[in-house]
Amino acid sequence: MNVLKVSRLTITAFVLPSLAIYFGIVFVPILVSLYSGLLDWNGIGESTFVGLDNFKNLFFNDVIFWPSVRRTFMFAVFSMAEIPIALFIAILLRRYIRKPNFLVSSYFLPVILSVVIIGQLWITIYNPASMGGMLNQILTTIGLESWTKSWLTDPAVAMYSLYFVALWQYLGYHTLIQFTGISNVPTEIYEAARIDGAEGFKADRYITLPMIIPIFKISIVLAFIGSLQAFDMVMVMTAGGPANATEVISTHMYKMSFSSMKYGYGSSIASFLVVVCLIATIIINYIFNKLEKRFS
Amino acid sequence: MARKSKILSLALTASLALSLAACGNSATNNKGDTASPDSGKTTEKVEEKVVAKDVKITFQNIYPDTTDPKNQLMKKLVTQYQTEHPNIKIELDSLNTDQQKLKLKTQAASKEVPDITIVNPSAQMKPFVEAGLFAPLNDMLDQNGLKATFQEGLLDWYSFDNNTYALPDGNNIAVVYYNKELFEKAGVQVPTTFEDMLKVVGTLKEKGITPIAIGEKDSWTGSFLFMNMLLRTNGPGFLKDVIDNKKTFEDPAFKEAVDAFKSLVAAGAFQEGATSFDYNAGENLFKTGKSAMYFMGTWATGGIEASSVNGKVGVFKFPTIGGKGDPNEFMLAPGSGFAISANSEHLQETKDFLNWFMLNFPKEAFTAKGAVGIGQIVDGDFKAAGYSDMAMEVLGLFKEVKGGDLAFDNTMNPGTAQVHLNSIQNLFVQKKDSAEVGKEHQTAYEANKK
Repeated sequence: MNVLKVSRLTITAFVLPSLAIYFGIVFVPILVSLYSGLLDWNGIGESTFVGLDNFKNLFFNDVIFWPSVRRTFMFAVFSMAEIPIALFIAILLRRYIRKPNFLVSSYFLPVILSVVIIGQLWITIYNPASMGGMLNQILTTIGLESWTKSWLTDPAVAMYSLYFVALWQYLGYHTLIQFTGISNVPTEIYEAARIDGAEGFKADRYITLPMIIPIFKISIVLAFIGSLQAFDMVMVMTAGGPANATEVISTHMYKMSFSSMKYGYGSSIASFLVVVCLIATIIINYIFNKLEKRFS
Repeated sequence: MARKSKILSLALTASLALSLAACGNSATNNKGDTASPDSGKTTEKVEEKVVAKDVKITFQNIYPDTTDPKNQLMKKLVTQYQTEHPNIKIELDSLNTDQQKLKLKTQAASKEVPDITIVNPSAQMKPFVEAGLFAPLNDMLDQNGLKATFQEGLLDWYSFDNNTYALPDGNNIAVVYYNKELFEKAGVQVPTTFEDMLKVVGTLKEKGITPIAIGEKDSWTGSFLFMNMLLRTNGPGFLKDVIDNKKTFEDPAFKEAVDAFKSLVAAGAFQEGATSFDYNAGENLFKTGKSAMYFMGTWATGGIEASSVNGKVGVFKFPTIGGKGDPNEFMLAPGSGFAISANSEHLQETKDFLNWFMLNFPKEAFTAKGAVGIGQIVDGDFKAAGYSDMAMEVLGLFKEVKGGDLAFDNTMNPGTAQVHLNSIQNLFVQKKDSAEVGKEHQTAYEANKK
């Protein structure tokens, strides 16, 4: 290994700038918000140090917090459950469609649209029939009138309506990632497998799946982290309403920090979110390392 | 993780504000030696020629809509002022209300408030005043008789310890707008009691007309209506009594108001899916003739005049509930106010500009047909100037105002207000016992009062 005979000083000189930037815009803000989580502060005036009081209130007295955590995790579970479907679509596209690029890009289309546009679009689809809601009108026309609901304003179904929009939007995204992953598997392997008698879904089971585990992992991590920070779509479509029925962690954090002017309390929610993200990333990495080992 | 982007945006806004301040700084070294307004005219002229250095004033405002008369008159006044004072450059930072609120809070956290900004009255501006972010404007109000142009008592909502910190652009009341054509079609009359109103709602509904439009996704709209009901069942000053420990939210009057509100929801008064309509979408139902009534502050007058139902709309006072209340007591809505940053690099120039701006505001608003509900006294004949019949009706109601209450979030601390807003929004979608609603409020109040 004499090729890389560079002095430590040079290495430091090259690494330091990006390390400093990374430190400045990732670590320092996290530390700052961990610290403000310990304050009783409205974000404007004087602050007082209250130790772990915010966290105590958050975990034991906040009636909105735990339901919003539950919704956030449901969101994550649904998003991750979507990925096998995306993978299946990608496999079908690869196998049966001669020129799949057009289809892949059409599936991808919702991803490049702004969330605000998507939100407004689905609000009008979900509207009550009397307000011209498409979904309810279709249900009425095909005789399923008993199925019509006020999709966004019934607390029992509103959150599921939101999950669906997010799944719809990101299906194409994950399909694209999986599709690219499959395309990168060398065709020689499949040819060799065919000689050994593995074709079709059998080949997928023994070749495609093990080969694309790293790609699969990327999708899972993206889906998980993405749903933990779900914010914009909820704000656009329901703003956490009706009566907190669609509140997720990040909207709760936003409302506490800025609407209720409890910046310190909001920061403690943010700290919770950061910790959850870190733990989740570690767990996901651990599981996939095991999987990769088993298949390789 | 979402947090990260917020911090980033905070850092960006801060650096933006810093760089702006830096620009201004390098351009002026003449702080203090600009002519004071009291000094003689001649010396002022001479001095202006000698020391007039470039001054940049940032003017954050909530008039981003170029079709809004207020946007047009603001631009007109700013251009005129810049022509008359070539050394002064006024930079507009026009945002919509919610964005402005968020941006100001972010800027306030780093003590980088723009030279002129917008705040809401009373409880909502209190944290900013307590943090010492705004300059008192008493001296400036005395200049050129500006104070006398404001309606009696209006500035009190913007004053703390005898110092006035903001100058309001409006003073509105809440009324019920109604579509005369739809009322005629259903054969109903303007209700004078709440019980009548429920009957009107029933009849309208039978005829397939949405009785009342509301934009309850923005939950303050429902709260505003609810507070008007509380004003009837209790009379003015309920929240103040709560703050003074004379009453609690478990008071019978509060429960009565909740029950009245529930009966309105149960009668199907509001459009289906009301909680997914934002303010604009709700108002549009009324403006396009799809609903018969609309409860809102009189600031909506201009927008309704510009819509397709113009000419068919009348207004009435919110009726009595169970024989209680005085219809001449209204929900009062002192408008958002212009405040000046205490740390402004050019405090004097900014004060001079705002003084001139507010002096000219009523006249320009009058000509732009935007003078219904402004906070200053307007000279001029509205009828002759071509204001609509509805505008004249609204102006007529203003003369009958005998006090009232402010909106919930202008009176209570933000933490309680947030619980209240959600609690009222909940009444739209779930049946809840009024005692429980009262208890929810009381618990939140006790947890947040300090």
